Amino acid sequence: MFGKQMFPGGVHPHEGVGGKAANQGNAIREMPAPRRVIIPLSMHIGAPARPVVQKGDHVLMGQVIAEAGGFVSAPIHASVSGTVLEIGEAQMPNGAIVRAILIDNDFRDEWVELHPCGHPETLTPAEAQQVIREAGIVGMGGAAFPTAVKLTPAPGKVIEKLILNGAECEPYLTADHRLMLEKAVEIVDGLRLVMLAFGVKDAIIGIEDNKPDAIAAMRAAAKPVDGIRVQALPVRYPQGGEKQLIYALTRRVVPNGGLPLDVGCVVCNVGTMYAIDQAIREGRPLVQRVTTIGGLVQNPGNYLVRIGTPVRHLLDACGGLRAEAKMLVSGGPMMGQAFNNLETPVTKGTSGIIALGADSLDPDEGPCIRCGRCMRACPMKLLPVHMDHFIREFNYNEAERLGVMNCIECGACTYVCPAKRLLTQSFRMGKKVITARRKAAAELAKKEKEEAERERAAREAAEKKEG
Amino acid sequence: MAEARRNPGFGGVFMNGLITENPTFTLMLGMCPTLGVTTAAMNGVSMGLATTFVLVFSNLFISLLRNIIPDKVRIPAYIVIIASFVTMIDLIMQAFLPDLRAVLGTYIQLIVVNCIIFARAESFAAKNPPLLSLADGLGMGLGFTVSITLLSCIRELFGSGSIFGFSVMPEAYQPMAIMNMVPGGFITLGLMMVLVNFIKKALSARKEARA
Amino acid sequence: MQAKWTIAPAPHVRDNVTSRRIMIDVCLALAPAGIMSIVYFGAAAAGLIAISVLTCVLTEYLYQRLTGAKVTVGDWSAVVTGLLLAYNIPASAPWWIPVVGGVFAILIVKQLFGGIGSNFMNPALTARAVLFISWGSIMGAYPATQLMADTVSGATPLALLAEDASQVNLVDLLIGNCGGVLGETCKIALILGGVYLIVRGIIDWRVPACFIGMVFVCYLFMGGFDLALKEILAGGLMLGAFFMATDYATTPTSVLGRCIMGAGCGLLCFVIRAFANYPEGCSFAILFMNVATPLIDRFTMTKHFGEVKKHG
Repeated sequence: MFGKQMFPGGVHPHEGVGGKAANQGNAIREMPAPRRVIIPLSMHIGAPARPVVQKGDHVLMGQVIAEAGGFVSAPIHASVSGTVLEIGEAQMPNGAIVRAILIDNDFRDEWVELHPCGHPETLTPAEAQQVIREAGIVGMGGAAFPTAVKLTPAPGKVIEKLILNGAECEPYLTADHRLMLEKAVEIVDGLRLVMLAFGVKDAIIGIEDNKPDAIAAMRAAAKPVDGIRVQALPVRYPQGGEKQLIYALTRRVVPNGGLPLDVGCVVCNVGTMYAIDQAIREGRPLVQRVTTIGGLVQNPGNYLVRIGTPVRHLLDACGGLRAEAKMLVSGGPMMGQAFNNLETPVTKGTSGIIALGADSLDPDEGPCIRCGRCMRACPMKLLPVHMDHFIREFNYNEAERLGVMNCIECGACTYVCPAKRLLTQSFRMGKKVITARRKAAAELAKKEKEEAERERAAREAAEKKEG
Repeated sequence: MAEARRNPGFGGVFMNGLITENPTFTLMLGMCPTLGVTTAAMNGVSMGLATTFVLVFSNLFISLLRNIIPDKVRIPAYIVIIASFVTMIDLIMQAFLPDLRAVLGTYIQLIVVNCIIFARAESFAAKNPPLLSLADGLGMGLGFTVSITLLSCIRELFGSGSIFGFSVMPEAYQPMAIMNMVPGGFITLGLMMVLVNFIKKALSARKEARA
Repeated sequence: MQAKWTIAPAPHVRDNVTSRRIMIDVCLALAPAGIMSIVYFGAAAAGLIAISVLTCVLTEYLYQRLTGAKVTVGDWSAVVTGLLLAYNIPASAPWWIPVVGGVFAILIVKQLFGGIGSNFMNPALTARAVLFISWGSIMGAYPATQLMADTVSGATPLALLAEDASQVNLVDLLIGNCGGVLGETCKIALILGGVYLIVRGIIDWRVPACFIGMVFVCYLFMGGFDLALKEILAGGLMLGAFFMATDYATTPTSVLGRCIMGAGCGLLCFVIRAFANYPEGCSFAILFMNVATPLIDRFTMTKHFGEVKKHG
């Protein structure tokens, strides 16, 4: 066991009612479209999209309603056909209020004309990037980083290995599991097309070995394709963390502050790859995704959901919440965000909506007893016990020296802490302060430089005058 | 020095040494005799008084000579002055209090290098007029005496069951031997500093509340 | 669906291990040794253990009450301290010994330094050292067990070993039918408790392994296998190695640090036993390493995952 596809640290989070066991047998069903969708303009990392429709416009399904707001950004497409009600606001799971396009559904589901790619197997890298970009595809594991950007290596960097993340290490979530079972051929096809386009010879699909059926399905689908290997991984959170997955599958270590491309890897979620396949083969943009609805709901399930569907609609479709539910989480319970607005829409990154009970409410924090469990749980081999002490004493410099900026906020340390300390939260805060300080320091340096420059210019001018 | 500039006068300087800047609990000076001789109350008192004697006179004379002593050789000069008074008190004790002298032993001679005396010479007597320096020496010396007497009373009480040689504990009391050793001194000193800081904090909090 | 939903930072699932459960587990692990001490030393042992635990819990409660701090008696850590302290007291000690020790351990060593997790020395061991230095004749008197055929009081296995290893019966050592303080005699009970803690994942096996291994190896070179085996089973080594050198607050947090802690304790214990005046060096060895803990922690900080390796 030890040494076999293992990253340092990690935990085995337990699950409650409505977890993976209850949900992994539920086939993906199409969720009926809601009466109105709320499509946020910044549901990806990077610049918000710019709306290109106006109030009252009639839009078709798949029509671009907002264009990318920069290089690191993604366009947004209508997920229903209907009328633009307004360009208003939406509350995201993290509580932020962002601009959003509200569309009233006419329930006709009229698609725009789709343009499948004419020569899918001979795409150039630039063409592939363009297709992926125009389809609005972002990382669907939760981070929602624009995939086209990920697939644009910096000069001098080469994509050697494509890694497909099918680990789904978060408890409760089964969306990727079901997708791998039901759409294995499409996922492998998408992977093959990307490999052809970018000239990648080697691809690894990493799947935790608690999903033997998904491993078998993916192996069967990958068999006819050269260069694709399906690797079973031991169950351990956060197996699906980018750096952890790369290490487990390739033994390569992404340097601190670096990108997977620094070690020649690109990691994509299986859901993302399915979306890429759809975009290349059928010309379909990203307007719906598979989302797990689990935990304390009456009928947990995996649903194909239109982007922008309000959570209230999802819960109604699942028969509502159980009485014990106390908390709603967007994403998995380890890294997902608790929210309390039922109008929060499903976004491109929403891998699941989980209802949790009273046992998920935070117990009182106790004093640290220095047991060291957090250090052994940390997948980044950081020292949470010491970093936490420093941050709580506002000694950010020392916390930075201990590497708090490399914290991936996976929550493993908080999970194991017997004193129930909110370690991850403390690191989030510390990272925010340190980032702000770095920014302020950089601005100050810039200002000083400009000042010096101006002074020098003035002096030179004066000297010239005298001379 | 801030106090000198505010010109607190004889009494102010005296009280500063005795309480505000108590050499043992605030400045943490002279730890060697503090831990070494405070096993019995009598030792504490006599050590404190001997130190006070030296401190008063060394402060006075250094202050008197402060404008004559060249800056470059001031440290040897201070040592000569201090050593003279230490020798005096050592000889006096040998003549009149031979038993006590035997108990305190080399600690008396070590007053020469006691950092209280040196610190006061350097930071106060060398910059202030004779009368104020005298007050400072007296205050610091008595502050030191009171502190180490308190310390030695506690240690004697627990370590031997007596105070100033008089048995105060009941017959059945079994002396706590660690109090007669250096670790006992450290623990007692630490606890007393906890107490002093606690009281100081409480007082300043009350003062703030009143203000 | 009008209910208000709770907002909290991730993660939203927590392991069910709590500080309290860890402490209760330690108490459970200490129980066999306590029961054996009552078997061997009778009611006196039971009384001393009860007084010690009561004093510790009461001191903690009163201190926290008087200073207005949150009362944390419910975390059972004071009970652990009380048990460990009692296990370090000989059965013949008067009632006030555990009282003084308990107050010292909780008030001065633990609470004044900030309470659970903040003390820099093991409270029970520090109290034991203070008691031992202060009242050597009481703390150093080791009454014979009730089951011992000959009533040769006073001679502990360690003292006998120092003279001649063959005087000591290995079986007596294992079952604890020999002189010593309350909790240290029955090695089987202690090993049982230690293994329980290791299996439950509460203590790191490396500390006792390095500790005991170090003492064993040192004595192996000094006096051969028989002496080495009896030395590791004599005195407070097992108690110290399993229950005191593994105290969270006063031992390093890193894996390597814990190995260093164990090995350092073993070496010091050997040096004190073999070459110093004290017959038993275990507690002083552990205290010494307690003080070195911040230093060890500092020097055994691990590289981060992804920290760029420097090429020479």
